[in-house]
Amino acid sequence: MQLRKLKQVRHLLKPARASASNASASGPAILLAAMSLMTLKPAVAEIAPDRGLMSLRYLDYQDSQPGENRIHVGATSAMVMVPLAGEWAVTGTYTTDSISGASPRYYTYDSNGKFPKMHDLRRAEDVSLTRYFSQGTATVGASYSKESDYISQGLSAQGTLSTEDKNTTFNFGTAVSNDEINPVNKIVIGERKHVLDMLAGVTQVFTPQDIVQFDLGHSMGDGYFSDPYKIFDNRPRSRNHTTAMLLWNHFFYATEGTGHLSYRYYSDTYDIRAHTLNASYDQPTASGWMLTPEVRLYSQSAAWFYLEPDPTARPYPTFPSYGSTYYSLDQRLSSFGAITLGFKVSKKIGSDWLADIKYEQYEQRNNWSVMGNSVPLDPFRARSIQFGLSCLF
Amino acid sequence: MNAHWVHVRRGGVRFVFLALLSGCATTAPVQPWEKGDLARPEMMFGQDPLDSAFTEHIYSSKEGASGGSGVGGGGCGCN
Amino acid sequence: MNVTVRQFKAMACACEIALADATEAEAALKAQHAIDEVLRIETKYSRYLKDSVVSKINAASGLGWVACDEETLHLLRYADTLYRTSAGLFDITSGILRRAWNFNTPRVPDQNELRPLLDKIGWSHVDLKSDNVRLSRTGMEIDFGGFGKEYAADRAAQILIDAGIAHGYVNLGGDIRVIGPKPDSSAWSFGIQHPRERQLIATIPMSGGALATSGDYERFFERDGRRYCHILNPKTGMPVSHWRSVSVLAPLAIAAGSCTTIAMLKEKDGLAFLNETGFPYFAIDHHGNTFRNATSVTPATA
Repeated sequence: MQLRKLKQVRHLLKPARASASNASASGPAILLAAMSLMTLKPAVAEIAPDRGLMSLRYLDYQDSQPGENRIHVGATSAMVMVPLAGEWAVTGTYTTDSISGASPRYYTYDSNGKFPKMHDLRRAEDVSLTRYFSQGTATVGASYSKESDYISQGLSAQGTLSTEDKNTTFNFGTAVSNDEINPVNKIVIGERKHVLDMLAGVTQVFTPQDIVQFDLGHSMGDGYFSDPYKIFDNRPRSRNHTTAMLLWNHFFYATEGTGHLSYRYYSDTYDIRAHTLNASYDQPTASGWMLTPEVRLYSQSAAWFYLEPDPTARPYPTFPSYGSTYYSLDQRLSSFGAITLGFKVSKKIGSDWLADIKYEQYEQRNNWSVMGNSVPLDPFRARSIQFGLSCLF
Repeated sequence: MNAHWVHVRRGGVRFVFLALLSGCATTAPVQPWEKGDLARPEMMFGQDPLDSAFTEHIYSSKEGASGGSGVGGGGCGCN
Repeated sequence: MNVTVRQFKAMACACEIALADATEAEAALKAQHAIDEVLRIETKYSRYLKDSVVSKINAASGLGWVACDEETLHLLRYADTLYRTSAGLFDITSGILRRAWNFNTPRVPDQNELRPLLDKIGWSHVDLKSDNVRLSRTGMEIDFGGFGKEYAADRAAQILIDAGIAHGYVNLGGDIRVIGPKPDSSAWSFGIQHPRERQLIATIPMSGGALATSGDYERFFERDGRRYCHILNPKTGMPVSHWRSVSVLAPLAIAAGSCTTIAMLKEKDGLAFLNETGFPYFAIDHHGNTFRNATSVTPATA
């Protein structure tokens, strides 16, 4: 597209040169400088990307409970977005996760190195095609993910529609996924899980420094939701959840920084309700760096079938009460609160490259929940480091 | 119990939505030439899809809640 | 195909966008997008708005670096090219002379008034480093008034070209960028203002490219038989006087406009400069003699 513009200008340049008898440097010098101004993308119009984007990202994740490192994840993601024919863009993402370490079979207040060791490799591919219209976009996508015991296949469709003044944009999307579960312990064979997701929302420009997005999501899942590697784990075969999400970005004139605030409300048919509050702030510096501190607060209630540990049963797991159908000892279904503190540093290199590094520290505790009082288990901590590099081409 | 709760939530959602719409009605619409700062990459939602994918993946595998900001992308056995 | 003409006011000028499209509604919408782009540039670089990019850079003069967006950096680099091409005559830090020259009252400032202002002028005191700019002297000011209007005309035209317009033009107070000929392939005809009388001195048929004019008749006062116009030499702080009007045809309005201003600033050397650019021009000196190198400029039969 830029090339096309330059060609138009060069074409115009010829007659001017031809008509000059003693042309020398200043005219072309000025025109050349002027032409570079015209290659800038218009800031107003919402148009298809005219350059491709390539991104590479690496994640190193390690979680732990007092005295023991648990799961380590090393993940690499590569994404390529290529614009096509001025109105289309195709995006492909490839991700590999290497998971190793130990996962507890039941509560972690008495771990003592009893976690079974595990190692797994996940590969995921994701492709999407977007068509740009003058007042909206339409995207279709497909995804595939494979682990030794889990295969997931998904399809999605999304759209946006803007008002003429582009101050209001409606977003909607739907996705289906079809998963197959074959645990290595063969506790079940060829289990299935189907999930249908729907999302609708609106993005509104309120002032020259404020933009707000509100999304409502609903997800309906059927199938095998249990954890095959935990003892006493039998979960309802249907899980629906609803989310309401509010995001607000604010630009501060005084510092030229941008604040991001978001809140998510989550509720599902397991009776888990959760509040998530996220705040981050981007501060650009004069030398081209961007500094982003971040804090995230999370709190959830327990699933109705979560089996609270009975301290008198230690060191053995608590047994489900006689006659109960659904039960789980999974810590993730207890009521707990969590805090994340993060810091990201990014730097633009030249006009086409962007590099970043992000560090996050996460901690989960049962007595941090504002909506339940599960028996406190060991605090759960995790730290993650991400490196990212992307370039326009 | 669950049905009752969903009803209450819908009421709340309707309220938020109305608040948003009335916000549009009371403030003057932002003009295209005032959108210079809104066009900054930091002011857009979902600017770094790989970062969000990693981050959401971690949270959905360690917490009960998931979703909220998009659809698609595929599941995994971690949750 | 009908030609839709939208008139509007921007950058303190009467402006006009003409374009031909299949439907009138589409044409109106596309014209609006082009007008929005002109107003965006006006707002972003206005000296009068305290939150504008220019105001922020000026407010930091003598203090430190200011991070710039890509568009602003491009404009600063363009200003640098003009400064070098004009041997320092086109200087975007010279706007500060406005404090001494008020064209509403016919008063010529004396040297004591000009000297402190001249100390704050000089593109060489502006530092550019990667994405940042710094005005190293306290109280210095930059402004893009010297080519902002022409830049806006080109950007508006580019928006229309990108929207599929092939026939039309953008005219911002006499700075004209033609997108393409009339729908019947004939050229649009533009007039050049007579610098002393309320009539046209020449007409130019145009099917593409741009036309810009600078003159001593836009803002001026006369005192003791001498005309003092708004184009000021950044080295002396005094108005130029050799040319009454200079018009240049170039592929882009910003290039045409920059050449007219540099020619005015170069005074009698302006003619050599115009010849050197290679662009068609039409100039009238202080005696009323006309100079041109293009057959396409036809004197108006008034």
